[in-house]
Amino acid sequence: MPAIRVAVLPPRLRKLVEDLRRKEDRLSLLLSLVIGALVGLVVVAFILLTGRLAAIMYPAGGSGWRRIIVPTLGSLLTGYLLFKYFPLARGSGIPQTRAALFIHDGRISLRSVVGKLVCCTIALASGIPLGREGPAVYIGSGLASAIAQRLGLSRLQVRSLIPVGGAAALAAAFNTPIAAVLFSLEEIMGDLHAPVLGSVVLASATSWMVLHLVLGDNPLFHVPGYHLVSPWELGTYVVLGIVGGLSSVAFVKMLLWLRARFLRLPRASLWIQPVAGGLTVGILGYFAPQVLGVGYDQVERVLNGDIILKAVVLLAALKIIATSVAYASGNAGGVFGPTLFIGSMVGAAVGTVAHMLFPASTAGPGAYALVGMGAAFAGVIRTPLTSVIMIFELTRDYTIIVPLMISNLLAFYISQKLQKEPIYEALAHQDGLHLPHRASATRSELQRVSTAIRESPGYLDPEMTIAEAAERVTDSVFESWPVADELGLVGMVRIRHIAAAMDQGKQKMTIARLMQIARRSAGNRSVDLPHVHNDQPLSRALARMRDNGHNVLPVVSRANARIMLGVVTFADILKEYGVESPDELDYRDQPDL
Amino acid sequence: MKTPVAQPAPTPAASVSEFIATFAVILGVIVALLLFDTALARVDIRGRKSYAAREFRTGEQLLSQGKTEQAIEHLRTASTLDGDNSAYGTALAQAILADGRPDAAEEMLLPLLERNPTDGAANLAMARVLAKEEGTEEAKSYYHRAIYGLWPQGAHENRTAARFELIDLLARTNAKQELLAELLPIQDDSTNTKAQRMSIAHLFVVAGSPSRAVAIFRELLRRDKPDADAYVGLAEAALSLGDFATARADLLLAQKLTPEDTSLQARISVTDSVIALDPTQLGLSQPEQYRRSRNLVQMTLAFTRKCLAAQAPQVAVALDSASALLVSPAPADGRAQSIQQALSVAQSLWGLQRTRCAPAPADGVLALIQNRIAQ
Repeated sequence: MPAIRVAVLPPRLRKLVEDLRRKEDRLSLLLSLVIGALVGLVVVAFILLTGRLAAIMYPAGGSGWRRIIVPTLGSLLTGYLLFKYFPLARGSGIPQTRAALFIHDGRISLRSVVGKLVCCTIALASGIPLGREGPAVYIGSGLASAIAQRLGLSRLQVRSLIPVGGAAALAAAFNTPIAAVLFSLEEIMGDLHAPVLGSVVLASATSWMVLHLVLGDNPLFHVPGYHLVSPWELGTYVVLGIVGGLSSVAFVKMLLWLRARFLRLPRASLWIQPVAGGLTVGILGYFAPQVLGVGYDQVERVLNGDIILKAVVLLAALKIIATSVAYASGNAGGVFGPTLFIGSMVGAAVGTVAHMLFPASTAGPGAYALVGMGAAFAGVIRTPLTSVIMIFELTRDYTIIVPLMISNLLAFYISQKLQKEPIYEALAHQDGLHLPHRASATRSELQRVSTAIRESPGYLDPEMTIAEAAERVTDSVFESWPVADELGLVGMVRIRHIAAAMDQGKQKMTIARLMQIARRSAGNRSVDLPHVHNDQPLSRALARMRDNGHNVLPVVSRANARIMLGVVTFADILKEYGVESPDELDYRDQPDL
Repeated sequence: MKTPVAQPAPTPAASVSEFIATFAVILGVIVALLLFDTALARVDIRGRKSYAAREFRTGEQLLSQGKTEQAIEHLRTASTLDGDNSAYGTALAQAILADGRPDAAEEMLLPLLERNPTDGAANLAMARVLAKEEGTEEAKSYYHRAIYGLWPQGAHENRTAARFELIDLLARTNAKQELLAELLPIQDDSTNTKAQRMSIAHLFVVAGSPSRAVAIFRELLRRDKPDADAYVGLAEAALSLGDFATARADLLLAQKLTPEDTSLQARISVTDSVIALDPTQLGLSQPEQYRRSRNLVQMTLAFTRKCLAAQAPQVAVALDSASALLVSPAPADGRAQSIQQALSVAQSLWGLQRTRCAPAPADGVLALIQNRIAQ
């Protein structure tokens, strides 16, 4: 980057910049505008490039074989690029964004952003049936993170810009500014009351304006005005909610099951795995071209009432298979778009049957396709509020909002019952990441472990003798000490137990052996590695202390539970809650927990 | 041994100059991206529009060949690719209508009309859909909107075509007053072709204004060389006016011009029959008038009975007894009154069958005579 010499800067400008850097709210405002505009333009370029490239790859009147060859070659190319250059660009982008937020202090590299853009453009243009919205969120968050890092902002500020970039990206990708804000807060942050709300709204609005400036005022889908024909029709929407919920569960379970199988394959085959997805998609696309690509054209047709029952049922099933295989095999792309596709087909099928049975008291199948989209979104992505607003914004049709809410909530409830873990959390788990569940982020749990964390007193080696350990912990005010080997933390040992071993003349016994004996005698109360994470509420830390009998817990990284960030003590937690501790906590005065 | 304690990442601290440089680069990238996106969007829109136009042309071609299903696919693609072009959506709706799915066509047209209520083509398509769905009154309204709507190209031709479609609908539904109201504004339109003027004249006969038809046909004959169709039209108008002799004369002139047209001889025969049976013809003797009026009552009774026998047997039996009374011989001094009574009975019976039975052909002998009596 070209450096401007400070000496040549006019003093007033220099002062202005310094003021700006000092006043976080002003800087945040400015950055929201800049990020909104930049991300909006990048996402628009992403959409247009994908569309143009797809038009070149699939020219009018092209041979049917092209539908097999292009996705196969596309996935081969992206597979190689992902393996060799951009390993973080695989998949949707939402779990990676959340990982960046909760594990890496909001840091996303520009390289992975470029990788995501390139790989997704190739994959989606070649007909891989994945969505562009998840990758767009990653690209947006990544750009925001890169800008913040480049400007030398604090870790907290970098983190706070992740949802800002994500919202801007979704507003441009889906043309849904309000839903983008809600999604950022509901899914990425996991907290609808997050303090970044203002910045998120501003970035989303700016991005949306940029989109309109370049592409004009067009909703993603043009839909005729549907309405509730009779109050009895709500019963049919209840059925749609149930079917939508079950379809969502089937889709999520299939995708996760297939992905688990692919993850077990040797690492050396990582570059070729996406071809399995590309070839499957190609074969399905040879017989049913509608399966290829995101499929929004097909969705629009169905929303406008162009429905044949057998065709929509078949397309829903084929899309579930194609998307699951394509995603699980490691192609780049998200699940937003396919979810809407599957939902619209399922809705259209339910609507067609309902209209055949009760033609006088039900709306056309197009209305059910519309509600079906929302139900599938609520069932798969598990953001019920976002899904209602998103469908409203996508179609700009307010009249169907009540049936939409009913179906969405039912689908959400069924999905929650039958598939405990939401899709993005399950995907992160498969990658070994333990991301926080948004349900845990309630107002009463805003006091985090990070507020009470203190530096670790040090650590003991498992091979250390009791005598060496006793010498090390002399005069310690902690009840327990961390034990770590070369790979990291292995557990906690109580000083009381060290002292007891000393008294029994077992000076030569190792700490590892002592821990083993203590674990055995503790029985059910013991866990291998009692710990908490930095972003967990203090109430969780207290519960852990109760369960494990320690009044000191290690605070560990979410990316690797054996990396210790510090410790949290019972006394410090009490202090955070405003309860005065009589004296500095001394393990010798504490009852046995 | 490696430390298990994570080291906090160092916070980069950019200098003021780096801060400004970063912002400058970002703004530069934004401007460049704006230009790039705008250019790319133009290319994209151009590409989509030209693809849509190709698909539209293919669709129209297939539609004209009667390959409706294939045409629908192409028109649908055109409409999806270029949603702003309402002509594609309208063409798609017309194709769907041609495929026998008026409901789907209507659903497709509603958003188009919502977006642009003055779209002439969309209104015309909606009128056709509603006419097909037997929603005649609504169809008439949409025809009017099409006539007074906006047409980007060939406005006059399209409006005239829309009006003629409406006229056709009015003629089919026997809405004579409305038909006349639609015909009057266009009867003197100088841009009408000869065929259109001929059609207007024919429709004036249908609308119950044969004298206007006569004026148009005479005008056509005066302006152009003698035309058999114009003479046939004149004959139709004359028959409608009850002037059977003139009708016969016009038909003979038409036959002279097109001797190969065998249908004319049939028409002349019908006219001859009418002339031979018409009890109101001038210059007939009273016994002949009496004979013809009795004959007319019998013919009308037979015609009416045929229709009512199936529907209401008891009415048919009553008619039999009535006919026996009516056709009984009348004294010579009371014949004038009997003629009037017979004609009155014939009219009543004719009116009865018109309310109960399927309409009789307008150019049938009985219908022509009854029409004449009614005048």
